Amino acid sequence: MTVAAEKPPAGSRAGRGRSPNLAVDPTPGRSPRQAVPFLVPALVLLAALVIYPLVYSLVRSFFDRSGASFVGVGNYVNLFTDPRTLTAFKNNVIWVVVAPALVTGLGLVFAVLTERIRWATAFRLVLFMPMAISLFASGIIFRLVYEEDPNQGVVNAVVVGVHDLFSDPSPYPGAQPRDGAAFTAAEEGFTSSQTFTPGTAVTVPLVGFAPGQIPAGASSASLPPSDARELRGVVWLDVSVGGRSGALDRGERGVPGLAVEAVRDGRVVGRTTTGNDGRFTFPDLGAGDYALRLAASNFALPFRGLTWLGPSLITPVIISSWIWIMTGFAITFIAAGLAAIPRDALEAARVDGATEWQVFRRVTVPLLSPVLLVVFVTLVINVLKVFELVFVIAPGSVQEEANVLALQMWQVSFGTGGDQGAGSALAVVLFLLVAPAMLFNIRRFRREQS
Amino acid sequence: MTVVEVSVTGAPRRGVLSRVVSRLGNGVVQVGLALVALFWLVPVFGLLIASLRDEASNTASGWWTIFTAPTSLTLSNYADLVGNSTVLRSFLNTVYIAVPSTVLVVVISALAAYGLAWIEFPGRLWLTTLVVGLLVMPIQVALIPVAKLFGSLGLFGTITGVVLFHVAFGLPFAIFLLRNFFAGIPRDLVEAARMDGAREWVIFRRVVLPIAKPAIASLTIFQFLWVWNDLLVALVFADQDSAPITVALRAQLRQFGTNIDLLSTGAFLSMIVPLAVFLAFQRYFVQGVLAGSTK
Amino acid sequence: MSRLKVTAALVAAIGTLAACSGGTTAGPEGKALSGQTVEVVGTWSGDEQQRFEQVLSAFKDKTGAEVRYTPAGDELPTVLQTRVQGGTPPSVALVAQPGLVDQLQQAGSLIPLSPDVEKLVGDHNAAVWKKLGTFGGKLYGVYFKAANKSTVWYSEKAFGQVGAEPPKTWEDFLAVGRAVVDTGQAAVSVGGADGWTLTDWFENVYLRTAGPDNYDKLAKHEIPWTDPSVRKALETLAELFGDPRLVEGGGAGALQTEFPKSVINVFGEPPKAAMVFEADFVASVISTNTKAKVGEDAKFFKFPSIGGSEDAVVAGGDVAVQLKDDAASTELMKFLASPEAGRVWARLGGFLSPNKDIPAADYPDDVTRELVQQLVDAGDNVRFDMSDLAPAAFGGTKGAGEWKALQDFLANPADVEATVQRLESEAAKAYQK
Repeated sequence: MTVAAEKPPAGSRAGRGRSPNLAVDPTPGRSPRQAVPFLVPALVLLAALVIYPLVYSLVRSFFDRSGASFVGVGNYVNLFTDPRTLTAFKNNVIWVVVAPALVTGLGLVFAVLTERIRWATAFRLVLFMPMAISLFASGIIFRLVYEEDPNQGVVNAVVVGVHDLFSDPSPYPGAQPRDGAAFTAAEEGFTSSQTFTPGTAVTVPLVGFAPGQIPAGASSASLPPSDARELRGVVWLDVSVGGRSGALDRGERGVPGLAVEAVRDGRVVGRTTTGNDGRFTFPDLGAGDYALRLAASNFALPFRGLTWLGPSLITPVIISSWIWIMTGFAITFIAAGLAAIPRDALEAARVDGATEWQVFRRVTVPLLSPVLLVVFVTLVINVLKVFELVFVIAPGSVQEEANVLALQMWQVSFGTGGDQGAGSALAVVLFLLVAPAMLFNIRRFRREQS
Repeated sequence: MTVVEVSVTGAPRRGVLSRVVSRLGNGVVQVGLALVALFWLVPVFGLLIASLRDEASNTASGWWTIFTAPTSLTLSNYADLVGNSTVLRSFLNTVYIAVPSTVLVVVISALAAYGLAWIEFPGRLWLTTLVVGLLVMPIQVALIPVAKLFGSLGLFGTITGVVLFHVAFGLPFAIFLLRNFFAGIPRDLVEAARMDGAREWVIFRRVVLPIAKPAIASLTIFQFLWVWNDLLVALVFADQDSAPITVALRAQLRQFGTNIDLLSTGAFLSMIVPLAVFLAFQRYFVQGVLAGSTK
Repeated sequence: MSRLKVTAALVAAIGTLAACSGGTTAGPEGKALSGQTVEVVGTWSGDEQQRFEQVLSAFKDKTGAEVRYTPAGDELPTVLQTRVQGGTPPSVALVAQPGLVDQLQQAGSLIPLSPDVEKLVGDHNAAVWKKLGTFGGKLYGVYFKAANKSTVWYSEKAFGQVGAEPPKTWEDFLAVGRAVVDTGQAAVSVGGADGWTLTDWFENVYLRTAGPDNYDKLAKHEIPWTDPSVRKALETLAELFGDPRLVEGGGAGALQTEFPKSVINVFGEPPKAAMVFEADFVASVISTNTKAKVGEDAKFFKFPSIGGSEDAVVAGGDVAVQLKDDAASTELMKFLASPEAGRVWARLGGFLSPNKDIPAADYPDDVTRELVQQLVDAGDNVRFDMSDLAPAAFGGTKGAGEWKALQDFLANPADVEATVQRLESEAAKAYQK
């Protein structure tokens, strides 16, 4: 690049000597006066629209809801005695520890790797896309992605799909013997509390299943005639308009293909399945008392995936959506930083025989560190401000578990309660939380200067 | 820029083997990145399908069911929005708000960042820290104080007011970014220019700005994006005539339900411009590379 | 709190931009307010916005004043508070939360209604509505749109499968529910992810088990939430919530179900439950999100009587308040208080008016007429949604206060004691402020 150097204006002296009170700045880059034109526009705007509101909030945080009476640190006391704040604080810690580092790391890796592919622009464009979608819409996307119903949420659809590859669904999910039909539920299934001897015909009324879902081949249920040597019975769906409960009414159909077990002394001694009319028969049990059991496998509820938006997974889930959104941000700036790195440094290292990993770790990362720092600090601060995502993604019932400080501030100050005092106190706390990030920066500046 | 020491132990290993490994490695990288891109695209693709179905279909089944049981996809969501004159007018308003906001932020922050990075004056460190600290200021906190200010200045309901707000709140990040970027420019370059007697303004324009092009390009992209997608500031400070697209889309939403059909359609329509801006500025990254390598 | 609080329908009348210049002299078109502009802010968007804009254009035809409507959605409280602070309030706002009106009134941001408007409100509405619009002894609000929150919507098909009739009493209701369970569906789908559906459940049960007088006391927190009447109501509710087969997905499932989804669970394909309780606006969700026809596939019955309780209705509503003191704004308030304005929207559908002088024939269908009639029949037993009357920190914040306490109750309906304790401690905090 060429540096255009103009002739020094007449009367100015190059050099480093300190000689104030001259109309022309004698010391390039060393005087406040030279800084003025560069800084004034920014400072005016910041003072009027950012610093003034900040001071206003600080003052406001010591006043009550109406702003009329001074309450001292009352708002702060309320804040820290509210268990919601503690949850929010805890979640903020998780966010800050996990999310920015992850996104900066991903951004760095992707930015470096994309230098090696031809479709780098396409890749960056793809990762940039989520940034171009409003947070509200992104929130709705992830609300749906993680929806519990596998017909709606793509994650659970995949989870359930994979699960169902390995296990067959049960024929009658959710069905059970009618209450009072003397069957008790246990892990293995529904076992009759009464025992039966061969020669009996047992009626087993089933409920909790849609009549329309019974296999088409099912026929009317009726009690089989008893036979002295056999334990027989019928299992039918005891549901019909105007039907009596526990009785075989007209139009009630048998339940085919149901696994029935004969149990003696806690051991399964016979197994059979019901026919199309719902009848079942144990032909050769031998004399004795047998309990009947309807195996649990008949009724197992289908696997529905995980409750992603439940209280335990909600914060990781929201963080994952934030990562989806913000990686594009990190990659863009880190790529910009990479573009500004002098190629000679990298080439020199490569010529010296460094492996790619060594180049990355010893050259690229150190040279990128100013950008990485900007990205990381910005992400930390962005994380502290996250609230739309939490508000939109977390169902109301787990909002408390997913709470973060920025969301609480929003609700306190602008929920219909409109307590600007308490809201301002939260804002001040939020501001103070960033102190570590700022201190970190100051120290870094110092090091740079020295 | 900080001096980097590269110490490499062991003999150079650049034989045939390592080249094979690097080829293979490249293949792995390609596949890996393709998978990552796919992962990122899935939700966007789902959103695209949602925008092509009506609310009832979207709530009845997931978007992937179009593969197994193709339902009728329709462009009517788009037709409704594009045919809506309010939405079209708001599109223009968004441009009127986003372009000046972006230009002003970039110009003002570049000046300030130069001042903070390369001109020494007492309290510079603290001023820098203060500006960076302002990054954390949440927009909501400023609404009421700024409303009072705008109320007394008569800026309520004007595009100017909305732009000023965006500029002020875009500055901390922009200054932070550019200051760090500028500070990384080799000191010799700047000092050499000074020795030649160049004025600060000239150094800024001829030395610093060209090197910082990639950073400025990415700043432009994001500043534009943030303003483009803003709802809150516009809702509060813009009136009906100056309302941007986010506000107009908001007005289309039904009271209940996910509104995913409308949101997705709106998202795709309003995504076009930011993506175009991204592509337009992306090429400056390449220029940055050239500039860097010829040093 | 009602959905209204969330989506808050606040029509703020927007400041008359040209108001200062205009005066009330006749304009060029001979109409009194020609050349003036009134600004209205509310939460209504989409179809509701379009319908409300027709009401406003009727106002324009009548008076000549321009009216601009801004839909602020969920951000309405923010927009309103900010604009009031900035000294540029809208002329009129339509708010769904009496709590927000109260707050604005205390801040001195509202204009007391003119005697003309007051007379109109008294003439055309049941006394309860005037009382609800009164804050600090003065009338500030005109209730323009009402919601009937005592309706249980059921699937005709699911009832047909067991031959059930719409139940009249709580016992019948549970019995029908159990019959439905036999067919493999749940009795009800509860939109427990949205706290306001649970407060509506509680309010309906409480109004019936404890009576209107206790309801008023509890709404003002004159009796604590640990009162035996609250326990009784929760125990009654637990008869339903406590049986996981009656509630779609059980408590945990219901807590993941948002209100629209709870409606889809009943009227979508495949149906998962037979009934869903909520307000009249269930009908609009049915028509947008499912193929079921309201009035044919989807019908409703009154929230069942408990222990022989009389007809009673929990209502919600959007109240219009005036923020600017000029002729055009006052005129708009007058218009909104008159039957004329309500009739415009009534004909367009999706609207119940608290105004008793809107002819039944104006409502477009039998379902709507029945919903209105129910509101009228309940007479003095109409009570406003309690959570909307409560401070927002208690009755209107996602994931906090009453919403969260009742969500915890839904997760564990056996623990009435913990629920009342939590409700009381949250209420004590919120009401003291």
